[in-house]
Amino acid sequence: MLLLIQYTLIFASVLMLVALGGCFSEHSGVINIGLEGIMVMGALGGALMMRYLPEGTSAFVMIVMVVLAALIAGALYSLLLAVAAVNFNADQTIIGTAMNMLGTAAATVIVKALNTAADPNNVSSTIQYVEQKKAFYVNIGGFEFSWFVLIAAVALIASHVILYKTRFGLRLCACGEHPQAADSVGINVYKMRYAGVVISGILGGLGGIVYITSGVSEWKFENGVAGFGFLALAVMIFGQWKPLNIALAALLFGMMRALSNVYVAFDFLQNLNLPGAVYNMLPYIISLVVLIFTSKKSRAPKAEGIPYDKGSR
Amino acid sequence: MKKNNLLKNSGVQSLIASLICIIIGLFVGYIALLIINAEGAGKAIVTLIKNFLYYPSKPAQLKYLGNTLVKTAPLLMCALSVLFANKAGLFNIGAAGQYVVGAGACLYLALALKMPWWVCLLGAIVAGALLGALSGLLKTAFNVNEVISCIMFNWISLYCVNMLLANVKESTSPYTLPLKANNASALLPDLGLGAFFTKNNYVTIAIPLAVITAVAIWVLLEKTKLGYELKATGNNKNAAKYAGMKENRNIILTMAIAGALAGMAAALLYLTGYEQWSTSQSSVPGMGFNGIAAAFLGGLNPIGAIFSSYFIQHITAGGAYVDKTMYCAQVSDFICALIIYLCGFVLFMKTAMNRSITKREEKAAAKNKEGGNA
Amino acid sequence: MENYAVEMLHITKRFPGIIANDDITIQLRKGEIHALLGENGAGKSTLMSVLFGLYQPEEGEIHVEGKKVDIRNPNDANDLGIGMVHQHFKLVECFSVLDNIILGVEPVKGAFLDKDQARGKVEELSKRYGLQVDLDAKIEDITVGMQQRTEILKMLYRDNDILIFDEPTAVLTPQEISELMQIMHNLAAEGKSILFISHKLAEIMEVADRCSVLRKGKYIGTVETKDVTPADLSRMMVGRDVKAKVDKEDAKPTEVVLDVKGMSVASKRHKKNAVNNVSFQVRRGEIVCIAGIDGNGQTELVYGLSGLEPLSAGTISMCGKDITKLPIRKRSIMGMSHIPEDRHKHGLVLDYSLEDNIVLQRYFEPEFTSPLGFLKRKNIRAYAERLIEQFDVRSGQGPITITRAMSGGNQQKAIIAREIDKKPELLIAVQPTRGLDVGAIEYIHKQLVEQRDAGKGVLLVSLELDEVMNVSDRILVIFEGEIVGEFDPKKVTVEELGLYMAGAKREGKA
Repeated sequence: MLLLIQYTLIFASVLMLVALGGCFSEHSGVINIGLEGIMVMGALGGALMMRYLPEGTSAFVMIVMVVLAALIAGALYSLLLAVAAVNFNADQTIIGTAMNMLGTAAATVIVKALNTAADPNNVSSTIQYVEQKKAFYVNIGGFEFSWFVLIAAVALIASHVILYKTRFGLRLCACGEHPQAADSVGINVYKMRYAGVVISGILGGLGGIVYITSGVSEWKFENGVAGFGFLALAVMIFGQWKPLNIALAALLFGMMRALSNVYVAFDFLQNLNLPGAVYNMLPYIISLVVLIFTSKKSRAPKAEGIPYDKGSR
Repeated sequence: MKKNNLLKNSGVQSLIASLICIIIGLFVGYIALLIINAEGAGKAIVTLIKNFLYYPSKPAQLKYLGNTLVKTAPLLMCALSVLFANKAGLFNIGAAGQYVVGAGACLYLALALKMPWWVCLLGAIVAGALLGALSGLLKTAFNVNEVISCIMFNWISLYCVNMLLANVKESTSPYTLPLKANNASALLPDLGLGAFFTKNNYVTIAIPLAVITAVAIWVLLEKTKLGYELKATGNNKNAAKYAGMKENRNIILTMAIAGALAGMAAALLYLTGYEQWSTSQSSVPGMGFNGIAAAFLGGLNPIGAIFSSYFIQHITAGGAYVDKTMYCAQVSDFICALIIYLCGFVLFMKTAMNRSITKREEKAAAKNKEGGNA
Repeated sequence: MENYAVEMLHITKRFPGIIANDDITIQLRKGEIHALLGENGAGKSTLMSVLFGLYQPEEGEIHVEGKKVDIRNPNDANDLGIGMVHQHFKLVECFSVLDNIILGVEPVKGAFLDKDQARGKVEELSKRYGLQVDLDAKIEDITVGMQQRTEILKMLYRDNDILIFDEPTAVLTPQEISELMQIMHNLAAEGKSILFISHKLAEIMEVADRCSVLRKGKYIGTVETKDVTPADLSRMMVGRDVKAKVDKEDAKPTEVVLDVKGMSVASKRHKKNAVNNVSFQVRRGEIVCIAGIDGNGQTELVYGLSGLEPLSAGTISMCGKDITKLPIRKRSIMGMSHIPEDRHKHGLVLDYSLEDNIVLQRYFEPEFTSPLGFLKRKNIRAYAERLIEQFDVRSGQGPITITRAMSGGNQQKAIIAREIDKKPELLIAVQPTRGLDVGAIEYIHKQLVEQRDAGKGVLLVSLELDEVMNVSDRILVIFEGEIVGEFDPKKVTVEELGLYMAGAKREGKA
């Protein structure tokens, strides 16, 4: 049971961070299908930082440096989407799809190159961080609490405040709803969309590092992040683009995902004798069912996905 | 004026744009290779481009050209799936999942039920079509965006097919039983094609079949009433509805056809015996996603897709030959992904081309006459 | 030297293929209401976008308060005290009125928005100028009139002294229009200078001190409104005398083509019916006009008639047959033609060629499709060429022109050709002249009258009172989804119609 809560919290944190990222991007008017790729890049940044920080680095420095590396990597990678969507009016779905493929391919190429350079016989795409990972967890009576959960909670509160209580949030949402209106009152739509996409890169990158450190102590980058970026999109839609609702949706989906890791610990689930794949599928099936019931009255930002062109009015 | 007309032609523009994407993609890939290891970068890029020409002997070259073609056929089918849906205004990112259920259906029919090849092929087509139609149905009945539902289906299909095919796998490995030993009647006939490629047994009717399908899709889109309706729905679904076209039926039909194409893609690969399905794979096979690349690189034209599919498969296969002590085979995936990314800029390139043509024409027109009415 | 608030001197703005503004000079005095008159496409909106910093002119200068200025974006315009109410409101629908007013100039306390301070200032302005609004209501829930007041408050909140109104009356009831006129007078009296863009002569004569006229991107002249007649202005605007009346004989209506009984259509925006229990008839040989302010159920009424939306109650029959449940295609084959309200949304597939659009309603007929489902391209070409010739549809490359590249007037002509050549029994035309110039408008009116004289039933839905009075044989006024009156255009005044359109009066029977 404790294990279920532990995994639920950590997976919910991942989904929440990434979904909040998507939320910022979409409120600015850019659909971010490329979250999956952004997560991979964030994970890569964080994992490399873990690997190359000298042994004996204090836990606090480790956390700060790894988080910084992940979010910077995510932010930089998200610029690929920002440039294409904002400056070149590119189709955001194609760009996002390309970014997902590029993320996994690039991470694999980079990690393999590094591994091979270190040891010519090592052609794997795996990074190990057994020792380093320990910095992120505190053991409270058998319950492994991850500092990342705290970071996710802070991100949630910050997102809510930024979107609804600040000048920036008001302007950001205006750009996703009615960019012409925003432009007419002197708001730089291009800049705001850049901001929205880069924030999604930061949160997505963060989500990536949280994901790969969630269970195991090494990560094979060829696998990407197993569709978590897409699940986060479903969480965002289920949460109707509102941070607090997203948090609840993330908890629900997180629990579904956690079940697939720990169902063996529950007698009644084990007695059902279902193959593990069923639990793996569960989050996706639930997403679909949820989408069926929520899509009719969806409140997506009105102008999302539509390139903004100053010339056309 | 005549010279400009050629540049104005949208097909020519697409071709130029695609070539620009390829050149930039290869160039950026080259730079990445330079960063990883400056010494072998040039050689590695050349290796990618040479692919089967890597082998010195003619028969070996032919044999490996055959292998590239074997994998081009399914890629072309996936590209057709994506572009067909795209013409009707739908983004079929689900080609990957439809490909997966196609693989599941044909391998199960072949290995568990011992069916002949044509039943397996049909089974794959039907499975893909059903999954595609389901995404279409969710869109029309519940307003679920097809991109999101397709992505979910990709994963669901993967886990389902893994479970299904676990029944027909080798006991010591996660791979499905080899077709040749267990049900040779399920192998696609080769009609002597294999002999031409230095006895490459994997070369079958799959290759001509894919090309014929491409031409058929072109005819369907350009010459028929159905194509007219689907494209109208894709360009302006309100106008299509206004003109009395059955918008919902068309969306479901489009997704079903797109799904059928992707399902068939899987059959055209797995029924050659070239690959066995790994029931432990934890990510959706890239074939469907590469289909997106091929579709856009081919300018969303079925005939263009034949060439773009070949090109992509050509450099992907070339990845296997790069010097493993310096680079990994994924450099070709990396370059493909770069090329799709660049395909997102095609619209911008075309607009830029048109703008420069208009400007030049205006200058010429200003010299000749006082300007027409708007 | 005279004291001008704004001078736009010799402004030239070109777009690819067109000179939108050609050496235009406009001088706005302090505290005056200055009208800018011109047809659709004359270049008024472009000129105002230049003043507002949305476009940069190729040539010419702008002076504000006598000083040459450089307006690069709306912020610059705002800093100079220039504000604008756009023709299509620039309001974020899911935001509150207050959020819309402060957007772009939000007061902050520390890191957070200070809405209390904003609320105080807006409330004070709202009282001072008599602009009633509910600050906490969402834009999507309030009336068009209140949305416009929100736009005006936006300008006042920014302390703008130079106010631009771009076609502000198009969406208002006659009563709301007179309110707006009063507000404009109030603003001018407080020292604000107003530029008022319009193509409606009566309003200009009523509210403006002076009027500048544009035609096809060129400057025609500036006059004092008290020195001229509406006919003078009209001549300046169009460049020739315009017939005030459409030539037509009296209608000789015969049997009923369309019979609507108790029709209701549910609304997508609110819980009530958009069209509520409407009954009327259209007979052969008459033009029946549905008049009303935009958004009173006209769109839904037509959707219901054409089959784009299902009815929630009532029946429709055409030529004596019940068509209530028939799909769009069947209605079309039975003889219903529909010139849609929005030619880009419904009327055309813009990326299709002209010939493909011309057969949009008939492509499935044996003439154009073989039994195996292949298109007969040769027949399509021949048919398109005939219609293009007959209806004088002009385009760059004839039948293969991509429709997107055609002018609005010719796009509309293509739709009219397509719908009329179908030989309909009933022609439904919704705002067929929207956004067109006078020449095209006259042409379309002539076509409608010809159809009537050929014995078809014509149902015209229009927002333009001039059109309603000129073209129709019978007027039905629609208000909040209900028919509130039926009139003979020869026996009713515009003012009377206005009262019904605004819901101030209604007939006992509907």
